[in-house]
Amino acid sequence: MQPLSQKEGTLFRQIIKYYESKQYKKGLKAAEQILRKVPNHGDTQAMKALILNSQGHQEEAFALAKVALKNDMKSHVCWHVYGLLYRSVKNYEEAVKAYKFALKLEPEQQNILRDLAILQVQMRDYDGYIESRQKMMQARSSLRQNWTALAVAYHLAGNYKQAENILETYEKTLKQPPPKTDLEHSEAVLYKNTIIAESGDIERALEHLNTIARANLDRTAVLELKAKYLLQLDRKAEAEAVYRILLDRNNEYRAYYDGLEASLGLDRSDEGSKEKLVEIYQSYAEKSERTDAPRRIPLDFLKGEEFKSAADKYLRRMLNKGVPSTFANIKALYAEAEKKAVIEELVLGYASGKQANGSAEANGEPSDRFEEAVKYFLAQHYSYHLSRDLEKALQYIDQLIEKNPKSVDYNQAKARIWKHYGNTQKASETINHARELDEKDRYINTKCAKYQLRNNENETALKTMSKFTRNETVGGPLGDLHDMQCLWYLIEDGEAYLRGRDYGHALKRFTAVSDIFEVWHDDQFDFHSFSIRKGQIRAYIDMVRWEDHLRDHPFFTRAALSAIKIYLQLADHPELGNPNNNLDLDKMDAAERKKAQKKMKKEQEKREKEEAERKAAAAKKANAKGDDGEIKKEDTDPKGIKLLETKEPLEVALKFLNPLLEFSPKSIEGQNLAFEVHLRRKKYVLALKALNAAAAIDPENPKLHEQVIRFRLTIDGLKETDPKVSEVLNASFKLGPASTDLKKFNTDWQQKHSQSPSHVQSALNVRHILDNSSKAQNETDLKKLLELPTITTEQAVAGLDLLDEWQSEAGVKDSYRQAASEKWPEVTVFQSK
Amino acid sequence: MDIRVLRPSDIPHVQLANITNLPENYFCKYYLYHAMSWPQLSYVAVDVSRPQKTPYDPPKIVGYVLAKMEEDPADGIQHGHITSLSVMRTHRRLGLAEKLMRQSQRAMVETFGAHYVSLHVRVSNTAALHLYRDTLGFKVDKIEAKYYADGEDAYSMRMDLEGLKEQLLEEEESTFGKDEGEAVGDEKSGEGEGEAGKERKRKVKVGRGLGVGDLVEKNEASAAA
Ligand SMILES: CC(C)(COP(=O)(O)OP(=O)(O)OC[C@H]1O[C@@H](n2cnc3c(N)ncnc32)[C@H](O)[C@@H]1OP(=O)(O)O)[C@@H](O)C(=O)NCCC(=O)NCCS
Repeated sequence: MQPLSQKEGTLFRQIIKYYESKQYKKGLKAAEQILRKVPNHGDTQAMKALILNSQGHQEEAFALAKVALKNDMKSHVCWHVYGLLYRSVKNYEEAVKAYKFALKLEPEQQNILRDLAILQVQMRDYDGYIESRQKMMQARSSLRQNWTALAVAYHLAGNYKQAENILETYEKTLKQPPPKTDLEHSEAVLYKNTIIAESGDIERALEHLNTIARANLDRTAVLELKAKYLLQLDRKAEAEAVYRILLDRNNEYRAYYDGLEASLGLDRSDEGSKEKLVEIYQSYAEKSERTDAPRRIPLDFLKGEEFKSAADKYLRRMLNKGVPSTFANIKALYAEAEKKAVIEELVLGYASGKQANGSAEANGEPSDRFEEAVKYFLAQHYSYHLSRDLEKALQYIDQLIEKNPKSVDYNQAKARIWKHYGNTQKASETINHARELDEKDRYINTKCAKYQLRNNENETALKTMSKFTRNETVGGPLGDLHDMQCLWYLIEDGEAYLRGRDYGHALKRFTAVSDIFEVWHDDQFDFHSFSIRKGQIRAYIDMVRWEDHLRDHPFFTRAALSAIKIYLQLADHPELGNPNNNLDLDKMDAAERKKAQKKMKKEQEKREKEEAERKAAAAKKANAKGDDGEIKKEDTDPKGIKLLETKEPLEVALKFLNPLLEFSPKSIEGQNLAFEVHLRRKKYVLALKALNAAAAIDPENPKLHEQVIRFRLTIDGLKETDPKVSEVLNASFKLGPASTDLKKFNTDWQQKHSQSPSHVQSALNVRHILDNSSKAQNETDLKKLLELPTITTEQAVAGLDLLDEWQSEAGVKDSYRQAASEKWPEVTVFQSK
Repeated sequence: MDIRVLRPSDIPHVQLANITNLPENYFCKYYLYHAMSWPQLSYVAVDVSRPQKTPYDPPKIVGYVLAKMEEDPADGIQHGHITSLSVMRTHRRLGLAEKLMRQSQRAMVETFGAHYVSLHVRVSNTAALHLYRDTLGFKVDKIEAKYYADGEDAYSMRMDLEGLKEQLLEEEESTFGKDEGEAVGDEKSGEGEGEAGKERKRKVKVGRGLGVGDLVEKNEASAAA
């Protein structure tokens, strides 16, 4: 290390302080001061680089950090800073290397050790983490958190025994038991208890729990664990007692009722248990007028007459109170057709007035309330997919609205009915009306924006959202929605753009969704140290485990599926990557062309307007800051044009596909798309893997059928160009028929599934692929499918997409749309505009 | 609808419920901060009856309370704070908000020895005001002018938890037997002890169901009003 004079030494220590308190300007000034005296002082240069990096001058920072290292290879400060810079750009591997260098020079530097340890656990390098934590513990063994952290390291690595040992060893050093209010202690011993249980030794876990239960501050957890252990150990009578205590504390938690049932040896599917079960739930229902669970749960297991009378009682109670969420609470029962029928019969009975004696004695208002609640229930009942009769639904809701034109709920329900009709236009209009009835309620505002997006009104929806967003944020309302990680909006917005084939905007949104998951993944970083300090270890372990499968979230899946579809389009039609001529007007039918031209004009106008606005705002926003004081860069590609211009769409698609396959392998759509991507990448083994995975999920999946045939064709095609590969694939491809039988295979399959629109569509597509002279016949047959009574509007839309794929004439599409529109006059997508 | 403690994996859905219902929104990390600091205090209401559509279906969260302990209480008294509370419109008036609040308050006392709980509410938010004041027994502490970003004033409200503490102590004794060690009430030095001693005589809600407790609180509230 290069020595400094006393004055500069003081200055140097100040730089560190300034850096830590984010006083970057002062820090830089002090650094300059030193460097004027000692121009090649590595440590100072390193600190300066660190500050520059924090100010967003990344390149400069890296360059300077390298100079610093050159000047002082033997300085742990320089290496530490080098590591920190790499960490800040998330190059964790390089950061680890740099930290390790620094530690070689200065093995006792605790802050470097700590930075290394955090990176290791972030990267799930548990062995490395154990090693670092071991060193940190030895350096400061008086600190409890250092022991706890080491135990965490062992625990995460799956070494329960050692984890327990470490905690135990520390406990033994305690001369006297800590006061009861010592949260850290309370948590640490409970944490130890969960480790014992996870190791499988429930007996000992219970024993240990009993010794700590009395003093522990997390009552709920103690009781829940105790009940669970007792049940696992088959000590039923004791388990029952604890579950009863838990229910006295919280009688709206099904897990407790389940535990109580189990500890009483009751079984819902066993007739012999029924009476006792009913009795128990009744006793809990009687305990409190305000509880729902003990009243609602029996409806799950009762059957026949018993069900009917219990359902009657439950429904009357809720409807008499006028609880608007009654249907939401009941509809799960519709999975059983018998129960659905009973409920319908009951509620229709209430509606016809004869059986409304539950409210007969009440005068005036409550009876009105009952009647209304009944109608509202029926409107929702007939709107629900398992009991749908939209005309009836509409009748009921219209009656209600006539009496209560200002009801947000009724108008919202009506909008939902239109949505179920497929009339996105009326749905959007109706919900907007509902929104206007209560402009202060964000919930209805949110739903309104959602319906507008379903109706492809991207701009209007954003305007709606802007009534509740922080519009002074950089990027306006949309910026705020990004900042606030409003995933649902980004996804719906992207999907609306996708339907309108605005791939740039769509990709932009899906990428933003993926970025937010990245942020969520990074969010755990600070808690690796924070939680150890706070001492809430069980919560921390929960978080780490959740983060490990973060991306199995359906929102990620949805965004990923759509993004991959776009990248496939880009791979198949590279001209789309150049959005200035991506509109092939000749190939469109009249309606589409008109729409596209209108859109182009509108976009042109918008572009000009935006340009003007941007210029006006540029000056103001020059150094706009976000909430956290960080400088936010303006988005230079708001329309996603740069995303579209990618030269390697399939490789970029992997950014979405790989996590999808890793975390949601059971998503059949994911496997379907994996095949498409890998086939185009000529990664045949991976494509085959996707086929096999899809077959394991659903061997009759329509898309799989088509892909199997295409894969067979691909293998055949490879015979000439790459006979070896073809042979290998052929040997391991067990799903499809031999190449000679493809047509027959397809016809057989179609026969087998002749009543399923999706399957027949797939068969028609295969026929088209095998012989495109069958096109006209396929088009006719596809249209004929609309006559199948079971076909849904979604399936009909899928048919429209097929026509696109086959590049059918505009006239063919029009006639398909017209036929669909005759069948479903309310569906917006089939209406000619 | 289940009422249970919030888990980290619930956070995306709590965040979703929050941004659906309220104008005050937070990053995921702020929720994590709550869940990692006071994991016992935040609760969710979950619609458990929804049929699973995929193996990855997340829990359907229809309401939540996000709560914390005040880190550096200005008055030096340990107390809880409600950061955010909301219930989806489709599930309102089922009593969910009340149940969420009660669970959270219980944990504030049990785990952190809170003496009271505070919160802010828009002066125009009648539903929430009813819930806090009439159902739960909060009292208006003061009005904070222009508390919200859009310029609206807030009622700063608080609810004393000493009564609850007393009730929980009784409950605890029936669960675990009498404690030979220190009592729960005296973590705060002499002042706390005095309070607990005083409360012990009142025995407001001891042994009664929460339904009855409501009434007591309601009376108190109307007396104050
Ligand atoms: C405020 C809110 C959380 C209440 O949720 P909830 O689950 O419907 O409330 P509960 O069913 O538990 O209601 C309990 C009591 O609160 C009162 N209350 C609730 N909603 C009310 C309303 N709209 N009008 C008058 N009182 C109301 C009632 O006294 C009710 O008891 P009751 O049903 O026996 O009469 C909910 O309306 C909401 O999420 N609103 C939007 C978000 C919000 O304002 N949050 C509060 C921010 S501080």
